[in-house]
Amino acid sequence: MSAVRTPSSRARAAGPARGSGGPLRRRGLRLGEPGTAWVFLTPAIVLLAGMLLYPIIYTVWVSLSDFDLSTFQPGDWVGLKNYETVINDPGFLESLKVTGIYLVIALPVQLVLGFAIAFLLNVEWRGRGVLRALFLIPMVVAPVVAGGVWRMLLDPLWGVVNYALGLVGVGPVEWIGDPTLAMVSLIVIDSWRWTPFVVLVASAGIMALPSDVYEAAKSDGASRWQTLRHVTVPLLVPVIAAAFIVRWLGAVKMFDIALAATKGGPGQATDVVNLYIYEKGFRGLEFGSASSMATIVLVITMIITYFLFRLSRYLENRW
Amino acid sequence: MRRYLRLAATAAVFSLTVTACGSSGGDDAPAADGGGLGTAQNPVAIRVLANDAFAKQWQDQLVPEFTKKYPNIKVTVDGVPYNDQLAKSMLELTGPTATYDVVLGDDPWMPQLAKTGGLVDLKTDLAKFTDASYEWDDINSAALAAGEWDGHQYGVPVRSNLLLMFYNRSLYKKAKVDEPTAETTWEQYFTDAAKLVQDTTGDGKTDSWAVGTYFTKDPLTPTIWQTVLNSDGGKLLDENLKVQFDNETGVKALQTQVDMLKYAPPGAATYQFNEPLEAFRQGKVATMFMWGSVYKGTAIDTATTTLKEDEVGVTTLPAGSAGPGAHRGIWTAGVAKKSTHQAAAWTFLQWMTSKEGEQWVGANLGTFPARDSTLNGTPPTPWLKPVYDAISAGYDAIAKGQMWRPRLPESDAVQQILALQTSRAVSGQATAQEAIHQAATDISALLKSKGYPQ
Repeated sequence: MSAVRTPSSRARAAGPARGSGGPLRRRGLRLGEPGTAWVFLTPAIVLLAGMLLYPIIYTVWVSLSDFDLSTFQPGDWVGLKNYETVINDPGFLESLKVTGIYLVIALPVQLVLGFAIAFLLNVEWRGRGVLRALFLIPMVVAPVVAGGVWRMLLDPLWGVVNYALGLVGVGPVEWIGDPTLAMVSLIVIDSWRWTPFVVLVASAGIMALPSDVYEAAKSDGASRWQTLRHVTVPLLVPVIAAAFIVRWLGAVKMFDIALAATKGGPGQATDVVNLYIYEKGFRGLEFGSASSMATIVLVITMIITYFLFRLSRYLENRW
Repeated sequence: MRRYLRLAATAAVFSLTVTACGSSGGDDAPAADGGGLGTAQNPVAIRVLANDAFAKQWQDQLVPEFTKKYPNIKVTVDGVPYNDQLAKSMLELTGPTATYDVVLGDDPWMPQLAKTGGLVDLKTDLAKFTDASYEWDDINSAALAAGEWDGHQYGVPVRSNLLLMFYNRSLYKKAKVDEPTAETTWEQYFTDAAKLVQDTTGDGKTDSWAVGTYFTKDPLTPTIWQTVLNSDGGKLLDENLKVQFDNETGVKALQTQVDMLKYAPPGAATYQFNEPLEAFRQGKVATMFMWGSVYKGTAIDTATTTLKEDEVGVTTLPAGSAGPGAHRGIWTAGVAKKSTHQAAAWTFLQWMTSKEGEQWVGANLGTFPARDSTLNGTPPTPWLKPVYDAISAGYDAIAKGQMWRPRLPESDAVQQILALQTSRAVSGQATAQEAIHQAATDISALLKSKGYPQ
């Protein structure tokens, strides 16, 4: 299908085909016509509508109704009652705050670490291939397994981390039992799992940087720091922005690691919003409230993502 | 041609008449399908929706034993993780057709499952399939009540369980502390607990602690202080489902669980089910408040424990002002209303919960019985004797103090609120008084939003 078509080509496409048998053939669709495009797009649209749009519409519907447990279906229409309940739920507001803290710390940590490691892996040294391969392991470990394994590693009585700290006279440290350290642990586990992803993206970006720009910088007498600041970082801005947005979308929906490692506790110290919604819905069977929360989180995520895209475009143009 | 048509019509009417006679008469049908229990040529297949913690054990051990007696009933047991099981069961029971013939529910779930209208009343709806020797009255009333809702018996206890106190006799002896009994009070328990935090190897480092139990943010964690509350005569909700624990008794009960943490191993604040169990089996804690069903793996199975049978004692939880404590945690099983094999499904459950079935299950799976005759009779193996004594005492305590989680469709939502506030108190984010008050406020608001007068 051609995106740019001249008037003559359009006229040819609309006109009767040479040697056509009759009006039916003349009305038949051809590659390149808008109608044909819709024919090919229809399966994808139907699939997307079924897989994406329907669950969203259903969630909104449930959020506006009193979910009937006896039929397991949305029941009476209750308007915005569930939203009122949710907005007055201190647990939900606290979980939003916890999610904010997690995102504000975890995302920059993962980006800085990821790009730093990518720079190191970009330098020629023996064994970097092995290390690069090892970096992929955390990404392929199931999040629930990762959470469980880290929980064991951090256990004050049986865990190897506290054993090692004990050798130098530190501890035992309540990594999961202390509210502040539990958040630190969650960020460590999540960073262990997702920093390799940033490393991969950053490595691809660094390897694609044009060498002539560096040669020009070198001939101009730029120092390493100046080269990094005025050449590398500006050229990598689109990659950094893309990595940040992809990680943002992944991190905002994180709940599996928290479920496996801390169960959102102690108290609500690591109760990220999606875990709170999950427990409200599937443990408490409060599907109306849970759907309202999910809808609110969806709207907030869409708004923030929109601004992130705008910021990303601005930065790309600025540099 | 017309003759052929007449002949064909006559044949069709005749065959329809014969078929109708066959089905209306009812005498031939049972013979064809073995009375709903299948025949060698036409076996019946039933599916059981169970919990993944014991589904494999049932499939591998229990089902073959059942099949010896009922070879024409093929049973498939599917395990579902606990966190997903209630929602999946409710979806199953409200679906247009029955994928599962038997559905299991944890102790507080029966009201929610029954509310779907997807379960049959075993006593009335399936009376025609009930064996004459099946004695309902022999099943302990406290255990049977777990499967009852709104005057109907929707489930029978298939995996009876109680929260009990396990203790390590060797560690008690080493600390020179008298072993606990059903009369031991919480005050005495805490006095002993201080001595049970000890250095057993003489290297100057503490290596054994007093207690291991649930402390993490989990719906089962509050069952510890709920038991303390009940054994002090307190209740979570009154008869009108109004919150009744926002008082001194409630605060004292929660504070009891918070205080246990002082005598627990490092990291115990995150203890759920496995961690305290492992600590006890490794001889790291002297007492454990845990479900009785772990006894076999803790005291008998050498593959899972370092302890010997004579090292492990079991009794009820320390006594409050109203008596000793225990907490009911019984899995009940019901038959789906939309099941097309109700006779076979109910036969499977009857066998499991019969006197014969309970004996086999007790001896081979380590699961506890619910029948008084089994509990008071000769156990299938000697190691079960002290366990049965503890269970009998536990059932009495449960019946007396109504020691179970709230019986209403919002039970899990209530337990979630309690879990959060218990975790806040245990981690020091709130005092016991603040946590109790917040839990009471949240539960009251929840119940009010569901139409209960508060």
